Amino acid sequence: MKGHRLLGLGYLAPYVIGLLIFTAIPFISSFYLSFTSYDLMSEPRWTGLANYERLFTRDRTFIKSLNVTLLYVFLTVPLKLAFALFIAAILNYRLKFIGLFRTAFYVPSILGGSIAIAVLWRYVFASEGLANMMLATLGLAPVDWFGDPTNALFTITLLRCWQFGSAMVIFLAALQSIDKSLYEAAAIDGAGKVRTFFWITLPLLTPVIFFNLIMQMVQAFQEFNGPYIITQGGPLKATYLLPLYIYDEAFKKFNMGYASSIAWVLFAIITVLTLVAFWSSKKWVFYAGDKRN
Amino acid sequence: MRTKRMIAALATVAYGALAFGTTAHAAELRMAWWGGESRHVATQKAIAACGEKYGHTVKGEFTGFDGYLEKLTTQMAGKTEADIIQVNWPWLPLFSKNGDGFANLRKLKAIDLSNWSEADLSAGSMNGVLQGLSVSTTGRVFFFNATTFEKAGVAIPKSWDEFFAATATIKEKLGKDYYTFNAVKETAQLLTTLAVVQKTGKDLVDPATNRVAWTPEELTEGISFLGKLVETGAIRSQKEEAADGNVNLFEKPAWADGKIAGSYEWDSTYSKYSDPLKDGQVLKPVAMLKLPNAVTEGVYRKPSMVFSISKNSKDPDAAAQIVNCLLNEPEGIDALGTSRGLPASKAAAARLGDKGEPEVRAANAIVVAASGPAVSPFNEHPEVRAAFIDTLEEYAYGQLKADEAAAQIIDTVNDVLAEFD
Repeated sequence: MKGHRLLGLGYLAPYVIGLLIFTAIPFISSFYLSFTSYDLMSEPRWTGLANYERLFTRDRTFIKSLNVTLLYVFLTVPLKLAFALFIAAILNYRLKFIGLFRTAFYVPSILGGSIAIAVLWRYVFASEGLANMMLATLGLAPVDWFGDPTNALFTITLLRCWQFGSAMVIFLAALQSIDKSLYEAAAIDGAGKVRTFFWITLPLLTPVIFFNLIMQMVQAFQEFNGPYIITQGGPLKATYLLPLYIYDEAFKKFNMGYASSIAWVLFAIITVLTLVAFWSSKKWVFYAGDKRN
Repeated sequence: MRTKRMIAALATVAYGALAFGTTAHAAELRMAWWGGESRHVATQKAIAACGEKYGHTVKGEFTGFDGYLEKLTTQMAGKTEADIIQVNWPWLPLFSKNGDGFANLRKLKAIDLSNWSEADLSAGSMNGVLQGLSVSTTGRVFFFNATTFEKAGVAIPKSWDEFFAATATIKEKLGKDYYTFNAVKETAQLLTTLAVVQKTGKDLVDPATNRVAWTPEELTEGISFLGKLVETGAIRSQKEEAADGNVNLFEKPAWADGKIAGSYEWDSTYSKYSDPLKDGQVLKPVAMLKLPNAVTEGVYRKPSMVFSISKNSKDPDAAAQIVNCLLNEPEGIDALGTSRGLPASKAAAARLGDKGEPEVRAANAIVVAASGPAVSPFNEHPEVRAAFIDTLEEYAYGQLKADEAAAQIIDTVNDVLAEFD
């Protein structure tokens, strides 16, 4: 019995050690550092709430970056979820070469977070890139994808939405688990496809939508590679998401304490929005066996 | 027979001792640097040659300039930096304000310090402790694509007035998509600086007060000069530059085609900018262009990068052997050539003589000969640089007027400087 317990602990150890070293200790350390002035080269100096006071009262860049980040998240998450659900619904049909299509749609998610894809995206949407070449063949005027501050964030958003594969796979699995007899009953009652989707499919998918919503929201708040490689946060900080600001403060300006305080504000925002999502889920998420109407 | 056996045994023992001795001193070292393709190739050859000479293994860790500071910062904080590190001279105060960020190079006997002038050693010292060995003296210099100018039938300019006249002719003869210059990010900052320094003869920072030496009016004029470059079509607007995303000049097809026909770059980076040019195009370093009524050529000249040794190195003596080999010994000197500009080490300068790329020599000669005030390392402080780049971007997008931009830059830079009072 004792041997089994030791074996179990042995199996757990790699995960627990990794969690402690790479997550828990940096997490706790950053909370402490957020109350200090720390330039990485010398010992942290306790400054109390000074970093937070500067953040909320004097830092225009933080306010700008926060606004950009919120806009990015509120644009990206619904777009990505809607697109993933749309494609999953199509791939749920029995089509020829369905396996190939499912794989093809999932591939961007494997590649999407990579530096190479961000570089590729930069070339596709450059002033003389593929996107504008395609517009030209249709007789349309070129678009300033990165140079115009309004378009730049949208272009970065497109990159994120393009990586819809993981959400799509989860939607697809959920769609396939819906009891077919419900559709048969709806068909007998004369319900059309649209009505069936909104009254049967969608309610039964709400737990998965909720799961994807939380996951995608957290990931969107942490977006870094795309804007860093493609625009470096510009122009005019139109794509300067909070993770970029944290990075610049920590590693370019050596303000690790201040960067930690921004990171903790970001963490607080994610936590609050997640709690709001959980609270609201009572009103719109339905689980199997749920006795609510 | 007995004697023979004895000799054989002794020889075996002696060989074994020798082999053991070599193994005992063989160190595994890492060396980090930034640069372009030609520097990467040269440095890899040099560390292989020096490693072989001293029986050490030296692993190269190299990248472009972008991101190098961030990587080094992270490694320094985690005490995982390479044994030998290429450090930008203006970063020395960031990593070693008190002279304790790197190994004290005066204590490492393998390095022959007599090869550097006292001025070079002083520039590499922090708080009196030698933290980095100057690799070369560098500066910004003008590179022009001679082929483009020739195609338009205009001479390469010798003054800013000639430059603007040539720009008009090139655009008229070759097309509006031709530009005679480039000014993005730090190059925009340094061009603005150049314009102000030529008019005033003063560097950004007044060493006596540790505050910005320029008046708002003087900086406004410098920023307006940048505006004039856009208005005359000499450079692309900031918006047009941003439309291509974050791409380096030497990676742009327009640069390779000669449609961007000039820039203001470090003398040692000549190859980085000339290599991508399409066949037949010639890039030339050109003497400093001067504004009318300029009081100085305003050259931005400074000690180039330094080589430092990590204070956390397990084998600083071995690292010192490699550094000395790279900078002072034939194996390193021959392999490195002028990949980091013309060397500061007397031994390297003597050995190289006239060897190396003639264009790099010509560019360095321009930098060395040109006049200008001493450059403060604060010009390249990350927060000072960010203040310039961000504000100049706001000016370029029409969000600030030149005088508002000047006031904003001066305020921000003074705030940064005040932290070092």
